[in-house]
Amino acid sequence: MAKLRLDRLKPLVALAAFLFLWWILPAAVKSFTRLNLSEFHAPAWLITDKIDQLSNFWAARNHSKIELLEAGRDLARTNARYQILAQRYQNLEKEIERLESLLDLPPQQEYHHEIARVVRRDLNAWWQEIIIRKGRDYEIPIGAAVIFSGGIVGRVIEVNAYSSRVELISSPRFRMAASFDGDSRPVVYQGRIQSGFVAPRGEVSDVPQDLMTTSRKPLSLVSNQLGGTFPAGLKIGTVPWLAPGSTGIFQTGAVELDKRLHELKEVTVLIPLILPENVAHAN
Amino acid sequence: MEPLDHHKGENPSILFFLWLTLVLIAILAIGLAWRQLIDRDAFEVIEKRQTERRILKPGPRGDIYDRRGRLLVGNRPHYSAVVYLDDLRPEFRSQYSKELKKARAEIEATYLTASPEARPQTPPLPNYYKLQWKARQEVIQKYLDQINAITGRNDRLTETRLIRHFNENLLLPLPLVRDLTPDQYARLVEQIPPPPNSPIQIHTDTARYYPYHELAAHLLGYVQNKNLAPDEFPSDGIKTFAFQKKVGRSGLEAFFNETLTGTTGSELWRVDPLGFQDTRLELQAPKQGQALNISIDIDLQRAAETTLGNRAGAAVAIDIRTGEILALASHPNYNQNHLSPFIPQKTFDAINEAGAWLNRALQLSYPPGSTFKILTAIAGMRNGSITLDTAHNCRGVYRVGNRIFRCHARNGHGSVQLTDAIEASCNVFFYAEGLDMGIDTLSTEAQRFGFHEKTGIEVPYETSRNIVPTKSWKREKIGSGWVPGDTANTSIGQGFLLATPLQMACFMASVARDETRTQPTILTRSTLNPKPIEHGGEPIGLNPRQRAHLWQGMEQVTGRQGTGRLVGIDNFRIAGKTGTADFRAHGKEVNLAWFIGFAPVEDPQIAVAIMVEGTEESHAYHGGSTAGPIAKDIFLEFIRQYPERAGRLPPP
Repeated sequence: MAKLRLDRLKPLVALAAFLFLWWILPAAVKSFTRLNLSEFHAPAWLITDKIDQLSNFWAARNHSKIELLEAGRDLARTNARYQILAQRYQNLEKEIERLESLLDLPPQQEYHHEIARVVRRDLNAWWQEIIIRKGRDYEIPIGAAVIFSGGIVGRVIEVNAYSSRVELISSPRFRMAASFDGDSRPVVYQGRIQSGFVAPRGEVSDVPQDLMTTSRKPLSLVSNQLGGTFPAGLKIGTVPWLAPGSTGIFQTGAVELDKRLHELKEVTVLIPLILPENVAHAN
Repeated sequence: MEPLDHHKGENPSILFFLWLTLVLIAILAIGLAWRQLIDRDAFEVIEKRQTERRILKPGPRGDIYDRRGRLLVGNRPHYSAVVYLDDLRPEFRSQYSKELKKARAEIEATYLTASPEARPQTPPLPNYYKLQWKARQEVIQKYLDQINAITGRNDRLTETRLIRHFNENLLLPLPLVRDLTPDQYARLVEQIPPPPNSPIQIHTDTARYYPYHELAAHLLGYVQNKNLAPDEFPSDGIKTFAFQKKVGRSGLEAFFNETLTGTTGSELWRVDPLGFQDTRLELQAPKQGQALNISIDIDLQRAAETTLGNRAGAAVAIDIRTGEILALASHPNYNQNHLSPFIPQKTFDAINEAGAWLNRALQLSYPPGSTFKILTAIAGMRNGSITLDTAHNCRGVYRVGNRIFRCHARNGHGSVQLTDAIEASCNVFFYAEGLDMGIDTLSTEAQRFGFHEKTGIEVPYETSRNIVPTKSWKREKIGSGWVPGDTANTSIGQGFLLATPLQMACFMASVARDETRTQPTILTRSTLNPKPIEHGGEPIGLNPRQRAHLWQGMEQVTGRQGTGRLVGIDNFRIAGKTGTADFRAHGKEVNLAWFIGFAPVEDPQIAVAIMVEGTEESHAYHGGSTAGPIAKDIFLEFIRQYPERAGRLPPP
């Protein structure tokens, strides 16, 4: 009987021994381990992602030639459309440059972009993060803006050798300065605790009283460049309702984010050509 | 014998203690029940007072709009970075223990290692109180430095400020940086993690905002931060902390303070034994004050102020039918946005030095000069001394007893009748008529038009120093008897006579409406109500021919030969009167330029009074050339904004 009881205590003893060992470890070792935990994890995440890609590749090989021909034709059309858009974009850029020089305006913050695959999603009520497959190897800085075709994805909060951790805009720990489309006054967007199985949501506060919205014609919330992280005009989400806030003058409201936010496969990291001085301080 | 046998049987001493114990327990039980059931309410109150704290947050003030719904005064966000000291308590403790260790190490290094002879008389024990404050200050300064790094500021927190906040407003957030620009605010929002990951919170409050900056500064007024009065605190004995509220100090902000003031919201918190917040028990959101729609048209206001420019003076435009003030300008003025959220001492001093706090349209009274001749003419016609044929020969001077009174035309105007006398502003005609009718008639007529009273407009600090001199007034105030020279002076708007530009505008509106009084208002009156507005006066009492005669003279003023020819506008009939008065101000003899008038003559809609105050003896101001162009710009803007009322468009 007594022997059996001792057997039961074995895991506890092991745990105590581990904790004791961890406790007596030098602080430098502990700090190194903590800081590089992601580096140890990263290869496993990459392998999982590569296997996933491989399985997708073999699945794609099963498509018939007709399907591939149709897909190729659609792709060619899309490419043609994008070429036209790219041409228009170049013209607009030239026009902006001309106006900047005419009005003696400082040039807008410029970025180069890195497209990165999402290798892991860490989504729960308390934080919402994704891991992307590019890191210091592509000179991604902490604080860089991450976007996709539907607008803002989030902000880089940790950069490792070959991967980066991105905090999603739906995360309760994410906050940014924003504006309503067509209105320059700054408001605050913040993610919030997410409940499962519904589209991600955030909340907006400090909204001036004169702004009104309806669920039929919701206001569009976009980034402004005052905060220094995001270029202006990127979509955050739509605001279907606003309610009086606790200040008696500003309103608060819910922000409906893009439904694809939690299913992203690829994102774009915007890397500022000139890094703001305080980026390192803030993070 | 069984082991417990010795407990059997009755022992009287044990029984005594048994009963005693029971009685004591009963007393305790009754006492407990008494406290719990009977004294419950009293204890609840005490418990509340000990463990609950209330925070009062005044509601934002209401907005002010002009007659066409344009925002004149609103609230802008006022951003601050704040910390709640409660959130920093673990850091305070940790920093304090570090400071303590450091202090002890210093003692060991200096005191304990020194030779007994070198040791001071009293041991240098650390001052725990000071160490505690130092620790708190260092923790908060660390966060302030973080803000400084992001915003590029260089703010420091003083120990005095920290102690004062700790002792007076422990439950309120400690502002680290106030009045952040939108840019700084946005940077902090993005770069400082939201609570609970950082104790720094970005607090958004409101400050008064004046979109048109200096325009109508005196009329709109400004606000000042003020602590809530004791009677605004609930009397339930719960310790209450309150944010400062904004109170109107001048202009409409002061007059309509109660209307504009929002409803105060409150939060009730349960606190721990040290007084820090624990749980929020109640939240009542503050509500914004009521909005105010005033009668000003900001376009007319801008027209008046732009032409007034850097000169000292005032301009008033009034709706003749309703008495609504369309523009009320006073210069020098100030930018109210520089007074919000607080008035920097430097700004206060600069405004003070320029004499810009005073609203010259209604807080100061001036001699109205020749513009008063209209009243002299009315008095004379009613009195019967001025007929349509009355004429006087002006030779440039007029003798009254031993004194010579001059006309501004050195060689005189020759023989003048009323219309010519008004057109040329002939002093001699009005000296003669004033003396003919006498001061009693003149002052009674002036009082009939309300020159001796405040107008009663809803703007604070209207002067009561409006003087219509009479014989008794002079005896009482000056201590000497009335002389004919005083009557001559009064008849041309000089001497002891004093009126505000607002009064003169009301006078003009009254003349245009053929009534003796105009009740000015700064609030909008419904344009849908066709019923005449009761201004509290009576008909002037001129017959149509007399009135036409008077108006003809006034219209000639703005004609090609008139003293107010610079006011004239093609195809827009304006009746007016210029005036140039001598005035002693700022210790110097200066002159005042006046213009009063109304238009269009065929259907009067708007009346104006302009006064420009000379501030230097070298200022050669004249009614027609100095005040006239300001009136003209107001009329032009009126035509632009209200073409149908100005007779420029056929009615719909």
